[in-house]
Amino acid sequence: MWLWYDWRAAAVSDSNGNIIDVEEWNGWKDTDAVCSRLDMIAHEALTPEAERLSERFPGAKILLHGDEELPNANWPIPSPEALDCLDRAAILLSKRGVDAAAGDPDRRLEHILRASDELRASFVTIEGRLVEWVGLFLPEARFERDRSGLARKVINTKNLEELADVLGIGIPPVGPTDAEWDSLHDWAQSVWEIKNRLEKMEDVVRELASEHLPSLSALLGPILAARLCVEAHGRARLARLPAGTMQILGAEKAFFNHLKTGAPSPKHGHIFMHPWISRSPRWVRGKIARTVAAKATIAVRCDAYGGDLWSQEALDAVAARVETIRSENSTPPQR
Amino acid sequence: MLGKKRRLSWAVMIDGRSIWTLNAVPKHSQYGESLRRFKGTEYRRWDPTRSKLGAALSRARQTQYDLLPQEGDTCLYLGAGHGTSLSHLHDQVCGANNEKSGRIIAVDLSPRCLRDLVHLSKIRPGLVPVLGDARKHSTWGVMVSTKVDWLLQDVSQAGQAEIFINAVKRFLKPEGKGLLSLKAASERYSDTDEREVFDQIRIQLEDAGLTVEEQIDLHGLEDNHCLYYVTN
Repeated sequence: MWLWYDWRAAAVSDSNGNIIDVEEWNGWKDTDAVCSRLDMIAHEALTPEAERLSERFPGAKILLHGDEELPNANWPIPSPEALDCLDRAAILLSKRGVDAAAGDPDRRLEHILRASDELRASFVTIEGRLVEWVGLFLPEARFERDRSGLARKVINTKNLEELADVLGIGIPPVGPTDAEWDSLHDWAQSVWEIKNRLEKMEDVVRELASEHLPSLSALLGPILAARLCVEAHGRARLARLPAGTMQILGAEKAFFNHLKTGAPSPKHGHIFMHPWISRSPRWVRGKIARTVAAKATIAVRCDAYGGDLWSQEALDAVAARVETIRSENSTPPQR
Repeated sequence: MLGKKRRLSWAVMIDGRSIWTLNAVPKHSQYGESLRRFKGTEYRRWDPTRSKLGAALSRARQTQYDLLPQEGDTCLYLGAGHGTSLSHLHDQVCGANNEKSGRIIAVDLSPRCLRDLVHLSKIRPGLVPVLGDARKHSTWGVMVSTKVDWLLQDVSQAGQAEIFINAVKRFLKPEGKGLLSLKAASERYSDTDEREVFDQIRIQLEDAGLTVEEQIDLHGLEDNHCLYYVTN
């Protein structure tokens, strides 16, 4: 005996394919109700009709519409009108699925991180332009120490003479025309605005990452955590990576070059951004990267699979380990 | 000009080397393709470099007239993507306001693609977008109430042939048409020649009891791709 069911009906047939009993659901004109039934079936639950029939025929084998095992029988498939309702429900369900994608922190993190990267790239260019531009008119000025303060100073002055005053230097004989100064002034204005926008954006990245990857953010800092997560295309995938991959994530070019030509393998990818590695002497960076990456894979697994937040002691232990590696290798290896 | 035109179906026409479909949504270009009027009716150019189905149509030798579904058919499209091929398919199967009462179920895994498909389904009735994994029939299979006349799979992931064979068994009517667009690079035979991959897949399809009517190499239009037209 077989129990067939789909979203709208259920039926029982004997072993010869003769229909014995049918239960139908008449609520199919309500698109929302059809949606919840499709959801029910997608989650492998029985519909109420199927449930009723299975109580009536406990011996029947329950199979969903379309299953290969089902015999050929005159199953009560939906009428054309019901099919139209099914189509509407399917469209609604897809729409909900698309809407739900907005709640996916991986995708949100990706957009905001890439956006802030793009903004930073353009910020560096236009800030460099400002420094060069002012430097042309005020050759005596030196900004190596304080490039970012320059925009502020230009904004707050009305002309080149005033700016020279603020910077405490003399004015050369040739200066910009008024219109030219205005353009320079506007340029400084946008440098300042972009700088503020960038800072705000990176705060958002920090906030999102600390929420989505709390342990990894505590270990590596939220921006680096976000970058690793985006590079791996999502937290779930990052959590499945081995430590060796975590270590060189972001150094794919060097890594594949290493595989292809036998060049030295990369010792660190994005993880290099962390001061533990970038501020260490060259000869211990690989060792530290390896240790930190191993710890990072554990941290991200805690985040992805609902583990506990890393405690301060655990974080301190990693910092202590890094310190030990540094002190054990305080001199460069002898060749 | 006139002598070179020939019709593949009520909505699809070949003019020289380009393919045109009768636009079901007049004055609307779906993906930047050109629109043109032939004797007062508007057609859309089917770009074979953007659509594997379009590429297969222009490359097919023996089966050019059989490849497409009939108007009013029920079709299943696994891996519908952004809806480029799908829009032309809709021109053929459904027509304006679904005058031919066709039904195309378009399955894709990516919410980003589904976003485009949901928009498409608003202006093209008869189109049913479904968010789901082509391999997991249990989650969305119930939306396919009757077996379909025509099935196209374009999923570019490992084990494409196996996914296709399962889908054909589950969803395709007897005497139905199945099209498998195969991306050689998605199969894990990195050191074998792609032709060899294509032949191996052909054998795999035939072993599963399908008849391969034509194996269409899309090289030049869509590199490393091959489209199999099978019947069961």
